[in-house]
Amino acid sequence: MSWSHFIYFAFGSLTLWSAGVVSLYRAKSTTAGKTLILAGVLLFSVFIAGLWIAQGHPPLRTIGETRLWYSFFIIIVGFATYLHWGYKWLMGYSTLVSAVFIFVNLLKPEIHTTNLMPALRSVWFVPHVTVYILSYAMLGAATIASFVALKELRSNQRLMPLIDNLVYIGFGFLMMGMLMGAIWAKEAWGDYWSWDPKEVWAFITATAYLIYIHSRLRGYPLKYILWLLPVAFILLMITWIGVNYLPAAQGSIHVY
Amino acid sequence: MVGEGKRKRTIAIEEAVVTAAVVSAGFALQFTLGSFDKAFLAFPVNIIALAAFGTLFFIKRGKFLSRLSSGSLSVILLTLILFSTLYMGLVPGNRVKLSWPFILIYLMTLINITAVISVHLKSFSKKSIPFLLNHFGVLILLYAAGLGSADKSRYFMRVNEGEVEWRADQSGFGARDALKELPIAISLKNFEIEEYPPKLAIIERATGEALPKGRPLLFPAELNNFAQIEGWSIKVDSLKYLPRYAPTAYVLVTSQGTNDTLRGWVSCGNHFQRHKTLDINENFCVAMTFPEPKAYSSDVIVYTRSGKERGGIVMVNSPLTVGSWKIYQHSYDTQKGRDSQWSRFELVYDPWFIPALIGIIMMIAGAITLFWKGGAR
Repeated sequence: MSWSHFIYFAFGSLTLWSAGVVSLYRAKSTTAGKTLILAGVLLFSVFIAGLWIAQGHPPLRTIGETRLWYSFFIIIVGFATYLHWGYKWLMGYSTLVSAVFIFVNLLKPEIHTTNLMPALRSVWFVPHVTVYILSYAMLGAATIASFVALKELRSNQRLMPLIDNLVYIGFGFLMMGMLMGAIWAKEAWGDYWSWDPKEVWAFITATAYLIYIHSRLRGYPLKYILWLLPVAFILLMITWIGVNYLPAAQGSIHVY
Repeated sequence: MVGEGKRKRTIAIEEAVVTAAVVSAGFALQFTLGSFDKAFLAFPVNIIALAAFGTLFFIKRGKFLSRLSSGSLSVILLTLILFSTLYMGLVPGNRVKLSWPFILIYLMTLINITAVISVHLKSFSKKSIPFLLNHFGVLILLYAAGLGSADKSRYFMRVNEGEVEWRADQSGFGARDALKELPIAISLKNFEIEEYPPKLAIIERATGEALPKGRPLLFPAELNNFAQIEGWSIKVDSLKYLPRYAPTAYVLVTSQGTNDTLRGWVSCGNHFQRHKTLDINENFCVAMTFPEPKAYSSDVIVYTRSGKERGGIVMVNSPLTVGSWKIYQHSYDTQKGRDSQWSRFELVYDPWFIPALIGIIMMIAGAITLFWKGGAR
């Protein structure tokens, strides 16, 4: 098995996942959809296992190989979350993000030979990034819901359980990402936390969501605290994409 | 819950006033004394502080404890933390984390969390487990990584192959006069670099730019590997990579138009040998990149003054732990690369490592409960 076979497995899995998502939405029973998604996972794991055996070591040495794991884990964790919480849209989102990483691998074959530098060669690399991507999805959805909730504030508050749920799940993922990052940082250079610009912004983002969570527990008026969600999401976007452009971020270990 | 009335609001105002007073005191201290000196928190001060905070667990339920553990105070403190860290994230070269206001907010947060745990412990039930995992976890972590970090020290030690070294410096530059003898020594048996194969490319001789321009194709110089680049096909016919010598490849270059084949040695050179390119015509040549390190590792034995001895391999992302010391692979003689005669280590002494790890693990468990139970009430 080599990268030249990837295209068949990639399209096979993507077709199964997309069909699975469509079936979750259309069919009365979710059994067919779940089966299709699992079949896609199985097909994709055959490729990873094949690559692993052919190379004689786990495929975790090039940028392309890490992208391969993202496309795989996004589906696994997205599916697990769907099974537990029943959010079908999350399964659709996971398929979309997975497809993006798959297309990066297909369209930029040079990343298959771009070597991973020694510091990035760690078991924490892939889970550290994957849980963040899922947390962004949850918190993004909470932000959209917060706008709708703000509009409906006078008539009803039907969205509040959903919003709180999304924030808790998203925040749980965010914390896992930060904590795994902390363990990795300790293993790699002796500090859990070194206030690197990306770390500072991740901290800011987490604090903003903590303010939301604690304000909810205090029962502060919704017309104020619902605004925290869009603000926190802007901070999240700065952490994710914006940090690299900030003057305070020059020399960050997280610039890539 | 919404609008429970005046009582809650006046309490929040009291808390805001107290916090404002503490932060103002912080600014006053900052302007009179300058930044906070972290060394002040070193043992035994941090242990004494720990004991003082611990008394909060034994305070009876009442007005005092409920004020300290107040949720409004938590929101106020979190907001202050948000603004301090925003300043940290926006203003280059700031020293927020060692400023008095920030340190006082940090201490107030520790008190607030300790008090709220104390309240929850007094009415413990299975339901409080997720709460306790999150809050006890973060408390332990904030304590160990914050106040505990004053006990932490960090050194850099350069060890020659086949030698034992006790001396280290704190700057990382290895200045002779800054060397200090440590209670720990490293004997370096062997230093090793595993490399990715070097890559081959066709480059423009005048500019050094690789072809095709804008989307350069570099391929690994491995036996029988080949590539087609803009009308030429290149094949690696044989490889040589002896100790001390640079990697060298014998390549065949065939022009697809004329079918003419050119052959010769290409090498990236090293500290000992000049690099060598193979000219294809007056404009272009085949060149080799330096091999990139895949992993580098040191085979060591570590001795401590107290008589402990431990051997193992130290590499990036895989330190060696001896008591409260962790030994990290830091660097090597990059000029010589694979032939480096020495290895530099970073030694971190952190007696608070285990508590911090326990805090992190509790928080991970707490995060899983957040994910599993959600937030809908």
